[in-house]
Amino acid sequence: MRLAELQTRMRQTLLTGGSLDPGLLALLADPPPQRERRLAVYRNNVRHALLSVLDAAFPVVRELIGADCFSATTLAFIAQRPPHVPALYAYGGELPGFLADFAPLAELPWLADVARLEWARNEALFAADWEPLSPNQLATVPVAELPGLRLGLHPSAWLHESPWPIHAIWDAHQPGGGALEAVDLARAEAVLVWRHGGAVRQRSPSPSESALLAAFALECPLAEAAEMAARDPDFDLSAVLARLLTDGVLTYPT
Amino acid sequence: MSLAHNRAAILAQAGIGLRHPHLPAFLTAPQPAAWLEIHSENYLAPGGPRLVALEQLHGDYPLSCHGVGLSLGSAEGLDEAHLARLRALYDRLEPELVSEHLAWSTAPDGTFLADLLPLPYTGEALDIVAANVGRAQEALGRRLLVENPSTYLRFREADWDEAGFLSELVYRTDCGLLLDVNNLYVSAANGGDDPLAALERLPLAAVGEIHIAGHARVATPVGELLIDDHGSTVAEPVWALLRAVLARTGPRPVLVEWDTNIPELPVLLAEAARAEFHLWEVSDAAG
Repeated sequence: MRLAELQTRMRQTLLTGGSLDPGLLALLADPPPQRERRLAVYRNNVRHALLSVLDAAFPVVRELIGADCFSATTLAFIAQRPPHVPALYAYGGELPGFLADFAPLAELPWLADVARLEWARNEALFAADWEPLSPNQLATVPVAELPGLRLGLHPSAWLHESPWPIHAIWDAHQPGGGALEAVDLARAEAVLVWRHGGAVRQRSPSPSESALLAAFALECPLAEAAEMAARDPDFDLSAVLARLLTDGVLTYPT
Repeated sequence: MSLAHNRAAILAQAGIGLRHPHLPAFLTAPQPAAWLEIHSENYLAPGGPRLVALEQLHGDYPLSCHGVGLSLGSAEGLDEAHLARLRALYDRLEPELVSEHLAWSTAPDGTFLADLLPLPYTGEALDIVAANVGRAQEALGRRLLVENPSTYLRFREADWDEAGFLSELVYRTDCGLLLDVNNLYVSAANGGDDPLAALERLPLAAVGEIHIAGHARVATPVGELLIDDHGSTVAEPVWALLRAVLARTGPRPVLVEWDTNIPELPVLLAEAARAEFHLWEVSDAAG
Protein backbone atom coordinates (compact mmCIF):
# COMPACT_ATOMS: atom_id res chain seq x y z
CA MET A 1 0.00 0.00 0.00
CA ARG A 2 1.30 3.46 -0.87
CA LEU A 3 2.15 5.63 2.14
CA ALA A 4 -0.47 8.28 1.26
CA GLU A 5 -3.23 5.68 1.20
CA LEU A 6 -2.02 4.11 4.45
CA GLN A 7 -2.08 7.53 6.14
CA THR A 8 -5.56 8.33 4.79
CA ARG A 9 -6.91 5.03 6.08
CA MET A 10 -5.24 5.43 9.46
CA ARG A 11 -6.76 8.91 9.78
CA GLN A 12 -10.22 7.40 9.23
CA THR A 13 -9.84 4.53 11.65
CA LEU A 14 -8.03 6.40 14.46
CA LEU A 15 -10.51 9.29 14.76
CA THR A 16 -13.63 7.15 15.11
CA GLY A 17 -14.91 4.41 17.42
CA GLY A 18 -16.05 0.96 16.34
CA SER A 19 -14.08 -1.70 14.47
CA LEU A 20 -10.59 -0.94 13.26
CA ASP A 21 -9.96 -1.02 9.48
CA PRO A 22 -9.29 -4.72 8.64
CA GLY A 23 -7.28 -3.63 5.59
CA LEU A 24 -4.83 -1.87 7.93
CA LEU A 25 -4.68 -4.77 10.39
CA ALA A 26 -3.71 -7.04 7.49
CA LEU A 27 -0.61 -4.87 6.88
CA LEU A 28 0.86 -5.57 10.32
CA ALA A 29 3.73 -7.96 10.99
CA ASP A 30 2.58 -8.66 14.55
CA PRO A 31 0.80 -11.94 15.40
CA PRO A 32 -2.87 -11.72 14.25
CA PRO A 33 -4.44 -11.96 17.75
CA GLN A 34 -2.42 -8.90 18.88
CA ARG A 35 -3.02 -6.62 15.89
CA GLU A 36 -6.21 -4.93 17.02
CA ARG A 37 -4.80 -4.22 20.49
CA ARG A 38 -1.65 -2.73 19.00
CA LEU A 39 -3.40 -0.45 16.50
CA ALA A 40 -5.88 0.54 19.24
CA VAL A 41 -3.00 2.05 21.26
CA TYR A 42 -2.70 4.73 18.58
CA ARG A 43 -6.47 5.31 18.49
CA ASN A 44 -6.44 5.80 22.26
CA ASN A 45 -3.46 8.17 22.03
CA VAL A 46 -5.06 10.31 19.29
CA ARG A 47 -8.45 10.60 20.95
CA HIS A 48 -7.00 11.08 24.43
CA ALA A 49 -4.65 13.85 23.24
CA LEU A 50 -7.49 15.79 21.58
CA LEU A 51 -9.91 15.19 24.48
CA SER A 52 -7.31 16.55 26.91
CA VAL A 53 -7.01 19.76 24.89
CA LEU A 54 -10.78 20.28 24.97
CA ASP A 55 -10.97 19.33 28.68
CA ALA A 56 -8.46 22.08 29.43
CA ALA A 57 -10.09 24.70 27.17
CA PHE A 58 -13.73 24.14 28.23
CA PRO A 59 -13.71 23.31 31.97
CA VAL A 60 -17.06 25.02 32.72
CA VAL A 61 -18.91 23.35 29.84
CA ARG A 62 -17.47 20.06 31.10
CA GLU A 63 -18.75 20.69 34.63
CA LEU A 64 -22.15 21.78 33.35
CA ILE A 65 -22.85 18.57 31.43
CA GLY A 66 -20.65 16.17 33.43
CA ALA A 67 -17.37 14.51 32.44
CA ASP A 68 -18.97 11.47 30.75
CA CYS A 69 -21.35 13.52 28.63
CA PHE A 70 -18.54 15.96 27.76
CA SER A 71 -16.28 13.09 26.62
CA ALA A 72 -19.01 11.51 24.48
CA THR A 73 -19.92 14.88 22.94
CA THR A 74 -16.35 15.93 22.24
CA LEU A 75 -15.45 12.52 20.77
CA ALA A 76 -18.25 13.10 18.25
CA PHE A 77 -16.82 16.60 17.63
CA ILE A 78 -13.28 15.23 17.24
CA ALA A 79 -14.43 12.69 14.64
CA GLN A 80 -16.34 15.34 12.65
CA ARG A 81 -14.05 18.37 13.09
CA PRO A 82 -10.50 17.21 13.83
CA PRO A 83 -7.72 19.83 13.97
CA HIS A 84 -6.02 21.02 10.80
CA VAL A 85 -3.32 23.11 12.45
CA PRO A 86 -0.48 21.22 14.16
CA ALA A 87 -0.53 23.45 17.26
CA LEU A 88 -3.16 22.43 19.77
CA TYR A 89 -3.62 25.80 21.48
CA ALA A 90 -5.63 26.61 18.33
CA TYR A 91 -7.95 23.58 18.54
CA GLY A 92 -11.49 23.95 19.84
CA GLY A 93 -12.77 27.18 18.23
CA GLU A 94 -15.43 25.22 16.33
CA LEU A 95 -16.77 23.45 19.42
CA PRO A 96 -19.28 26.22 20.38
CA GLY A 97 -20.92 26.05 16.93
CA PHE A 98 -20.94 22.26 17.11
CA LEU A 99 -22.66 22.39 20.52
CA ALA A 100 -25.28 24.83 19.18
CA ASP A 101 -26.30 22.27 16.55
CA PHE A 102 -25.86 19.13 18.68
CA ALA A 103 -29.40 17.73 19.08
CA PRO A 104 -28.79 15.68 22.27
CA LEU A 105 -27.94 18.92 24.16
CA ALA A 106 -30.73 21.08 22.69
CA GLU A 107 -32.31 21.43 26.15
CA LEU A 108 -29.34 23.54 27.25
CA PRO A 109 -29.62 26.44 24.77
CA TRP A 110 -27.11 28.59 26.69
CA LEU A 111 -24.37 25.94 26.56
CA ALA A 112 -22.95 27.11 23.21
CA ASP A 113 -22.59 30.68 24.49
CA VAL A 114 -20.79 29.48 27.63
CA ALA A 115 -18.45 27.58 25.28
CA ARG A 116 -17.95 30.80 23.25
CA LEU A 117 -16.95 32.57 26.45
CA GLU A 118 -14.46 29.85 27.37
CA TRP A 119 -12.98 29.92 23.87
CA ALA A 120 -12.67 33.72 24.09
CA ARG A 121 -10.69 33.27 27.31
CA ASN A 122 -8.41 30.82 25.50
CA GLU A 123 -7.92 33.26 22.62
CA ALA A 124 -7.29 36.16 25.00
CA LEU A 125 -4.50 34.19 26.69
CA PHE A 126 -2.71 33.64 23.37
CA ALA A 127 -3.52 36.94 21.60
CA ALA A 128 -0.70 39.11 20.26
CA ASP A 129 1.21 41.18 22.81
CA TRP A 130 0.17 44.81 22.52
CA GLU A 131 0.65 47.73 24.89
CA PRO A 132 -2.77 49.06 25.93
CA LEU A 133 -3.52 52.76 25.93
CA SER A 134 -2.78 54.22 29.38
CA PRO A 135 -4.76 56.97 31.15
CA ASN A 136 -1.65 59.19 30.96
CA GLN A 137 -1.42 58.79 27.19
CA LEU A 138 -5.04 59.85 26.75
CA ALA A 139 -4.42 62.83 29.03
CA THR A 140 -1.93 64.22 26.51
CA VAL A 141 -4.60 64.48 23.78
CA PRO A 142 -5.75 68.13 23.36
CA VAL A 143 -9.37 68.55 24.50
CA ALA A 144 -10.42 69.87 21.09
CA GLU A 145 -9.31 66.61 19.48
CA LEU A 146 -11.14 64.33 21.89
CA PRO A 147 -14.54 64.20 20.09
CA GLY A 148 -12.91 63.01 16.86
CA LEU A 149 -10.50 60.61 18.57
CA ARG A 150 -10.83 57.00 17.46
CA LEU A 151 -10.16 54.30 20.04
CA GLY A 152 -10.17 50.53 19.56
CA LEU A 153 -10.24 47.42 21.71
CA HIS A 154 -7.06 45.62 22.76
CA PRO A 155 -6.31 42.65 20.41
CA SER A 156 -7.15 40.25 23.26
CA ALA A 157 -10.56 41.81 23.98
CA TRP A 158 -13.85 40.05 23.20
CA LEU A 159 -17.26 41.58 23.77
CA HIS A 160 -20.35 39.41 23.51
CA GLU A 161 -23.97 40.34 24.17
CA SER A 162 -25.54 37.02 25.04
CA PRO A 163 -29.26 36.32 25.46
CA TRP A 164 -28.15 34.19 28.44
CA PRO A 165 -26.40 35.09 31.72
CA ILE A 166 -23.14 33.43 30.66
CA HIS A 167 -20.89 35.50 32.91
CA ALA A 168 -22.97 34.51 35.96
CA ILE A 169 -23.00 30.84 34.89
CA TRP A 170 -19.22 30.92 34.41
CA ASP A 171 -18.70 32.72 37.72
CA ALA A 172 -20.72 30.06 39.57
CA HIS A 173 -18.09 27.50 38.53
CA GLN A 174 -15.14 29.48 39.90
CA PRO A 175 -13.69 29.14 43.41
CA GLY A 176 -15.59 31.64 45.56
CA GLY A 177 -18.08 32.34 42.76
CA GLY A 178 -21.83 32.78 43.09
CA ALA A 179 -24.37 29.96 43.42
CA LEU A 180 -25.55 28.36 40.18
CA GLU A 181 -29.07 27.98 41.66
CA ALA A 182 -29.25 31.77 42.10
CA VAL A 183 -28.61 32.50 38.39
CA ASP A 184 -31.71 33.77 36.57
CA LEU A 185 -31.48 31.91 33.25
CA ALA A 186 -33.98 34.29 31.63
CA ARG A 187 -31.60 37.25 31.99
CA ALA A 188 -29.53 38.48 29.02
CA GLU A 189 -25.95 39.46 29.84
CA ALA A 190 -23.03 41.07 28.07
CA VAL A 191 -19.54 39.87 28.86
CA LEU A 192 -16.11 41.39 28.25
CA VAL A 193 -12.95 39.23 28.19
CA TRP A 194 -9.44 40.60 27.81
CA ARG A 195 -5.84 40.03 28.92
CA HIS A 196 -4.03 42.49 31.16
CA GLY A 197 -0.74 42.06 32.97
CA GLY A 198 -0.39 38.52 31.63
CA ALA A 199 -3.72 37.36 33.10
CA VAL A 200 -7.09 36.82 31.43
CA ARG A 201 -9.78 39.01 32.95
CA GLN A 202 -13.53 39.03 32.58
CA ARG A 203 -16.54 41.06 33.72
CA SER A 204 -20.07 41.89 32.73
CA PRO A 205 -20.38 45.49 31.50
CA SER A 206 -23.62 47.47 31.87
CA PRO A 207 -25.75 47.91 28.71
CA SER A 208 -24.40 51.46 28.24
CA GLU A 209 -20.78 50.41 28.68
CA SER A 210 -21.41 47.53 26.35
CA ALA A 211 -22.75 49.98 23.72
CA LEU A 212 -19.64 52.14 24.20
CA LEU A 213 -17.34 49.13 23.79
CA ALA A 214 -19.21 47.98 20.69
CA ALA A 215 -18.68 51.45 19.20
CA PHE A 216 -14.96 51.31 20.06
CA ALA A 217 -14.77 47.90 18.41
CA LEU A 218 -16.04 49.59 15.22
CA GLU A 219 -13.44 52.37 15.75
CA CYS A 220 -16.14 55.07 15.89
CA PRO A 221 -15.00 58.59 16.94
CA LEU A 222 -15.27 59.15 20.70
CA ALA A 223 -18.20 61.62 20.42
CA GLU A 224 -20.22 59.13 18.39
CA ALA A 225 -19.38 56.28 20.74
CA ALA A 226 -20.41 58.38 23.74
CA GLU A 227 -23.73 59.18 22.08
CA MET A 228 -24.48 55.46 21.68
CA ALA A 229 -23.87 54.92 25.38
CA ALA A 230 -25.77 58.04 26.50
CA ARG A 231 -29.23 56.49 26.23
CA ASP A 232 -28.77 55.72 29.93
CA PRO A 233 -29.09 59.09 31.79
CA ASP A 234 -26.88 57.82 34.64
CA PHE A 235 -24.03 56.90 32.33
CA ASP A 236 -20.77 58.54 33.49
CA LEU A 237 -18.52 58.57 30.43
CA SER A 238 -15.38 59.84 32.14
CA ALA A 239 -15.62 57.30 34.98
CA VAL A 240 -16.23 54.41 32.57
CA LEU A 241 -13.39 55.54 30.27
CA ALA A 242 -11.00 55.87 33.22
CA ARG A 243 -11.78 52.33 34.35
CA LEU A 244 -11.37 50.88 30.83
CA LEU A 245 -8.00 52.63 30.46
CA THR A 246 -6.77 51.50 33.88
CA ASP A 247 -7.85 47.93 33.05
CA GLY A 248 -5.93 47.94 29.76
CA VAL A 249 -8.96 47.28 27.56
CA LEU A 250 -8.37 50.05 25.01
CA THR A 251 -5.78 50.90 22.41
CA TYR A 252 -5.39 53.11 19.34
CA PRO A 253 -6.67 51.44 16.16
CA THR A 254 -3.85 49.91 14.11
CA MET B 1 37.31 28.02 21.59
CA SER B 2 34.27 29.21 19.66
CA LEU B 3 30.98 30.19 21.23
CA ALA B 4 29.25 27.29 19.50
CA HIS B 5 31.72 24.90 21.07
CA ASN B 6 31.14 26.42 24.50
CA ARG B 7 27.41 25.96 24.17
CA ALA B 8 27.77 22.33 23.09
CA ALA B 9 29.96 21.69 26.14
CA ILE B 10 27.39 23.33 28.43
CA LEU B 11 24.69 21.11 27.03
CA ALA B 12 26.47 17.77 27.61
CA GLN B 13 24.66 17.75 30.94
CA ALA B 14 21.25 16.74 32.21
CA GLY B 15 18.30 18.98 31.34
CA ILE B 16 14.61 18.82 32.09
CA GLY B 17 11.45 19.46 30.12
CA LEU B 18 9.96 22.81 31.17
CA ARG B 19 6.24 22.24 31.72
CA HIS B 20 3.68 24.86 32.69
CA PRO B 21 3.18 23.74 36.34
CA HIS B 22 6.89 24.38 37.02
CA LEU B 23 7.06 27.79 35.37
CA PRO B 24 6.40 29.78 38.58
CA ALA B 25 9.25 27.99 40.40
CA PHE B 26 11.69 28.86 37.60
CA LEU B 27 10.52 32.47 37.47
CA THR B 28 10.86 32.83 41.25
CA ALA B 29 14.35 31.42 41.80
CA PRO B 30 17.24 29.78 39.91
CA GLN B 31 16.78 25.99 39.69
CA PRO B 32 19.53 23.35 39.38
CA ALA B 33 18.74 22.40 35.78
CA ALA B 34 21.62 22.60 33.30
CA TRP B 35 19.29 23.30 30.38
CA LEU B 36 15.60 23.30 29.47
CA GLU B 37 13.54 21.66 26.77
CA ILE B 38 10.19 22.85 25.44
CA HIS B 39 7.66 21.50 22.95
CA SER B 40 7.84 24.09 20.18
CA GLU B 41 4.12 23.87 19.39
CA ASN B 42 3.24 25.11 22.89
CA TYR B 43 4.84 28.47 22.04
CA LEU B 44 3.51 29.17 18.54
CA ALA B 45 0.63 31.42 19.62
CA PRO B 46 0.82 35.09 18.53
CA GLY B 47 1.59 36.24 22.09
CA GLY B 48 0.83 35.80 25.76
CA PRO B 49 2.62 35.37 29.07
CA ARG B 50 4.13 31.92 28.37
CA LEU B 51 6.34 33.11 25.53
CA VAL B 52 7.41 36.16 27.54
CA ALA B 53 8.37 33.90 30.47
CA LEU B 54 10.29 31.54 28.19
CA GLU B 55 12.30 34.36 26.65
CA GLN B 56 13.17 35.54 30.14
CA LEU B 57 14.30 32.04 31.20
CA HIS B 58 16.34 31.47 28.05
CA GLY B 59 18.65 34.21 29.27
CA ASP B 60 19.67 31.87 32.12
CA TYR B 61 19.27 28.38 30.65
CA PRO B 62 20.32 26.88 27.30
CA LEU B 63 17.30 25.67 25.36
CA SER B 64 16.34 22.66 23.27
CA CYS B 65 13.22 23.08 21.10
CA HIS B 66 11.45 19.79 20.49
CA GLY B 67 8.89 19.87 17.68
CA VAL B 68 5.93 17.53 17.98
CA GLY B 69 3.88 18.62 14.96
CA LEU B 70 6.00 18.88 11.81
CA SER B 71 5.16 15.33 10.68
CA LEU B 72 8.40 14.38 8.90
CA GLY B 73 6.70 11.21 7.66
CA SER B 74 3.81 12.91 5.83
CA ALA B 75 3.43 11.42 2.35
CA GLU B 76 2.20 14.74 0.93
CA GLY B 77 5.17 16.79 2.17
CA LEU B 78 5.49 19.35 4.95
CA ASP B 79 3.07 22.09 5.98
CA GLU B 80 4.90 25.23 4.78
CA ALA B 81 2.86 27.53 7.03
CA HIS B 82 3.89 25.44 10.03
CA LEU B 83 7.53 25.53 8.93
CA ALA B 84 7.33 29.32 8.75
CA ARG B 85 5.84 29.52 12.27
CA LEU B 86 8.63 27.29 13.62
CA ARG B 87 11.29 29.35 11.82
CA ALA B 88 9.94 32.54 13.40
CA LEU B 89 9.98 30.94 16.86
CA TYR B 90 13.51 29.59 16.44
CA ASP B 91 14.79 32.91 15.10
CA ARG B 92 13.29 34.62 18.13
CA LEU B 93 14.60 32.11 20.70
CA GLU B 94 17.84 30.94 19.01
CA PRO B 95 17.71 27.51 20.72
CA GLU B 96 20.92 25.48 21.03
CA LEU B 97 19.19 22.33 19.73
CA VAL B 98 16.18 21.67 17.47
CA SER B 99 14.55 18.27 17.05
CA GLU B 100 11.61 16.41 15.46
CA HIS B 101 10.42 12.78 15.27
CA LEU B 102 10.67 9.87 12.87
CA ALA B 103 6.88 9.66 12.66
CA TRP B 104 3.88 11.26 11.00
CA SER B 105 0.94 13.14 12.49
CA THR B 106 -0.65 15.02 9.56
CA ALA B 107 -2.79 12.98 7.12
CA PRO B 108 -2.92 13.73 3.37
CA ASP B 109 -6.12 15.80 3.82
CA GLY B 110 -4.35 18.03 6.36
CA THR B 111 -5.94 16.51 9.48
CA PHE B 112 -3.57 16.78 12.45
CA LEU B 113 -3.82 13.62 14.55
CA ALA B 114 -1.89 14.86 17.62
CA ASP B 115 0.15 11.67 17.98
CA LEU B 116 3.47 10.35 16.66
CA LEU B 117 2.24 7.67 14.26
CA PRO B 118 4.35 4.81 12.90
CA LEU B 119 5.88 4.51 9.43
CA PRO B 120 6.55 1.40 7.40
CA TYR B 121 10.34 1.32 6.91
CA THR B 122 10.16 1.04 3.12
CA GLY B 123 12.13 2.66 0.30
CA GLU B 124 9.12 4.85 -0.51
CA ALA B 125 8.94 6.07 3.11
CA LEU B 126 12.68 6.74 3.21
CA ASP B 127 12.49 8.88 0.05
CA ILE B 128 9.60 10.84 1.60
CA VAL B 129 11.19 11.32 5.03
CA ALA B 130 14.58 12.24 3.55
CA ALA B 131 12.97 14.85 1.27
CA ASN B 132 10.98 16.25 4.21
CA VAL B 133 14.03 16.39 6.52
CA GLY B 134 15.99 18.14 3.76
CA ARG B 135 13.21 20.69 3.25
CA ALA B 136 12.86 21.24 7.02
CA GLN B 137 16.59 21.82 7.52
CA GLU B 138 16.57 24.28 4.62
CA ALA B 139 13.45 26.14 5.75
CA LEU B 140 14.48 26.27 9.42
CA GLY B 141 18.09 27.10 8.61
CA ARG B 142 19.23 24.59 11.20
CA ARG B 143 20.37 21.00 11.52
CA LEU B 144 17.59 18.80 12.83
CA LEU B 145 17.97 16.01 15.33
CA VAL B 146 15.50 13.25 14.44
CA GLU B 147 14.16 11.10 17.27
CA ASN B 148 13.59 7.33 17.15
CA PRO B 149 9.91 6.74 18.00
CA SER B 150 8.21 4.47 20.51
CA THR B 151 6.23 1.94 18.49
CA TYR B 152 3.43 -0.49 19.29
CA LEU B 153 3.16 -2.25 15.93
CA ARG B 154 5.26 -3.12 12.90
CA PHE B 155 4.38 -3.26 9.23
CA ARG B 156 5.01 -6.43 7.25
CA GLU B 157 6.33 -4.46 4.32
CA ALA B 158 9.82 -3.24 5.30
CA ASP B 159 13.15 -2.77 3.55
CA TRP B 160 14.98 -1.88 6.77
CA ASP B 161 14.54 -2.21 10.48
CA GLU B 162 14.36 1.07 12.42
CA ALA B 163 18.13 1.30 13.04
CA GLY B 164 18.85 0.68 9.37
CA PHE B 165 16.24 3.24 8.30
CA LEU B 166 17.69 5.88 10.63
CA SER B 167 21.23 5.17 9.42
CA GLU B 168 20.13 5.71 5.82
CA LEU B 169 18.30 8.89 6.82
CA VAL B 170 21.38 10.32 8.58
CA TYR B 171 23.55 9.40 5.59
CA ARG B 172 21.20 11.01 3.06
CA THR B 173 20.31 14.23 4.92
CA ASP B 174 23.19 14.81 7.38
CA CYS B 175 20.59 15.22 10.12
CA GLY B 176 21.54 14.31 13.67
CA LEU B 177 19.98 11.64 15.85
CA LEU B 178 18.00 12.31 19.00
CA LEU B 179 18.32 8.95 20.73
CA ASP B 180 15.37 8.36 23.03
CA VAL B 181 16.57 5.52 25.24
CA ASN B 182 13.11 4.89 26.68
CA ASN B 183 11.67 4.64 23.16
CA LEU B 184 14.46 2.25 22.19
CA TYR B 185 13.59 0.08 25.18
CA VAL B 186 9.80 0.29 24.70
CA SER B 187 9.90 -0.46 20.97
CA ALA B 188 12.28 -3.38 21.41
CA ALA B 189 10.13 -4.85 24.19
CA ASN B 190 6.94 -4.43 22.15
CA GLY B 191 8.59 -6.00 19.11
CA GLY B 192 10.29 -8.84 21.01
CA ASP B 193 13.80 -7.56 20.20
CA ASP B 194 17.01 -7.00 22.15
CA PRO B 195 17.50 -3.23 22.65
CA LEU B 196 21.29 -3.62 22.92
CA ALA B 197 21.43 -5.29 19.51
CA ALA B 198 19.36 -2.41 18.05
CA LEU B 199 21.65 0.08 19.79
CA GLU B 200 24.77 -1.38 18.15
CA ARG B 201 23.24 -0.80 14.71
CA LEU B 202 22.19 2.85 15.23
CA PRO B 203 24.30 5.71 13.77
CA LEU B 204 25.66 6.66 17.21
CA ALA B 205 28.19 9.17 15.90
CA ALA B 206 25.22 11.37 14.92
CA VAL B 207 23.68 11.46 18.42
CA GLY B 208 23.23 15.10 19.49
CA GLU B 209 20.75 14.65 22.32
CA ILE B 210 19.48 11.77 24.47
CA HIS B 211 16.05 11.42 26.09
CA ILE B 212 14.97 9.29 29.03
CA ALA B 213 11.46 9.00 30.49
CA GLY B 214 9.10 6.70 32.32
CA HIS B 215 6.80 4.18 30.64
CA ALA B 216 3.79 2.13 31.73
CA ARG B 217 3.34 -1.64 31.55
CA VAL B 218 -0.14 -2.59 30.38
CA ALA B 219 -1.35 -6.19 30.58
CA THR B 220 -3.69 -7.21 27.76
CA PRO B 221 -5.39 -10.54 27.01
CA VAL B 222 -2.86 -10.96 24.19
CA GLY B 223 0.27 -10.11 26.18
CA GLU B 224 1.97 -7.14 27.82
CA LEU B 225 2.57 -3.85 26.01
CA LEU B 226 4.85 -1.06 27.20
CA ILE B 227 3.28 2.38 26.74
CA ASP B 228 5.55 5.42 26.42
CA ASP B 229 3.48 7.74 28.64
CA HIS B 230 6.22 9.95 30.21
CA GLY B 231 4.25 9.64 33.43
CA SER B 232 6.61 8.15 36.04
CA THR B 233 10.25 7.81 37.09
CA VAL B 234 12.68 6.26 34.61
CA ALA B 235 12.60 2.44 34.82
CA GLU B 236 15.77 0.63 36.00
CA PRO B 237 16.33 -1.22 32.67
CA VAL B 238 16.20 2.17 30.90
CA TRP B 239 18.84 3.59 33.27
CA ALA B 240 21.01 0.55 32.45
CA LEU B 241 20.46 1.13 28.74
CA LEU B 242 21.36 4.82 29.17
CA ARG B 243 24.70 3.80 30.69
CA ALA B 244 25.30 1.47 27.72
CA VAL B 245 24.49 4.34 25.34
CA LEU B 246 26.76 6.84 27.13
CA ALA B 247 29.59 4.30 27.20
CA ARG B 248 29.41 4.27 23.40
CA THR B 249 28.64 7.95 22.63
CA GLY B 250 30.50 9.69 25.45
CA PRO B 251 28.85 12.66 27.20
CA ARG B 252 25.81 14.06 25.38
CA PRO B 253 22.95 16.31 26.53
CA VAL B 254 20.49 14.07 28.41
CA LEU B 255 16.87 15.15 28.88
CA VAL B 256 14.47 13.83 31.51
CA GLU B 257 10.96 13.99 30.03
CA TRP B 258 7.85 13.92 32.22
CA ASP B 259 4.58 14.96 30.54
CA THR B 260 1.68 13.24 32.31
CA ASN B 261 1.05 13.04 36.08
CA ILE B 262 3.67 15.80 36.31
CA PRO B 263 5.39 15.60 39.74
CA GLU B 264 6.68 18.33 42.02
CA LEU B 265 9.80 19.94 40.57
CA PRO B 266 12.24 18.34 43.11
CA VAL B 267 11.21 14.85 41.92
CA LEU B 268 12.06 15.78 38.34
CA LEU B 269 15.33 17.44 39.40
CA ALA B 270 16.31 14.28 41.30
CA GLU B 271 15.93 12.25 38.10
CA ALA B 272 18.10 14.80 36.28
CA ALA B 273 20.71 14.53 39.08
CA ARG B 274 20.91 10.78 38.54
CA ALA B 275 21.38 11.33 34.80
CA GLU B 276 24.11 13.86 35.65
CA PHE B 277 25.86 11.16 37.71
CA HIS B 278 25.83 8.76 34.75
CA LEU B 279 27.24 11.53 32.55
CA TRP B 280 30.03 12.06 35.09
CA GLU B 281 30.81 8.32 34.94
CA VAL B 282 31.73 8.61 31.26
CA SER B 283 33.45 12.01 31.47
CA ASP B 284 37.17 12.67 31.66
CA ALA B 285 36.73 13.62 35.32
CA ALA B 286 35.79 10.03 36.14
CA GLY B 287 39.22 9.00 34.85
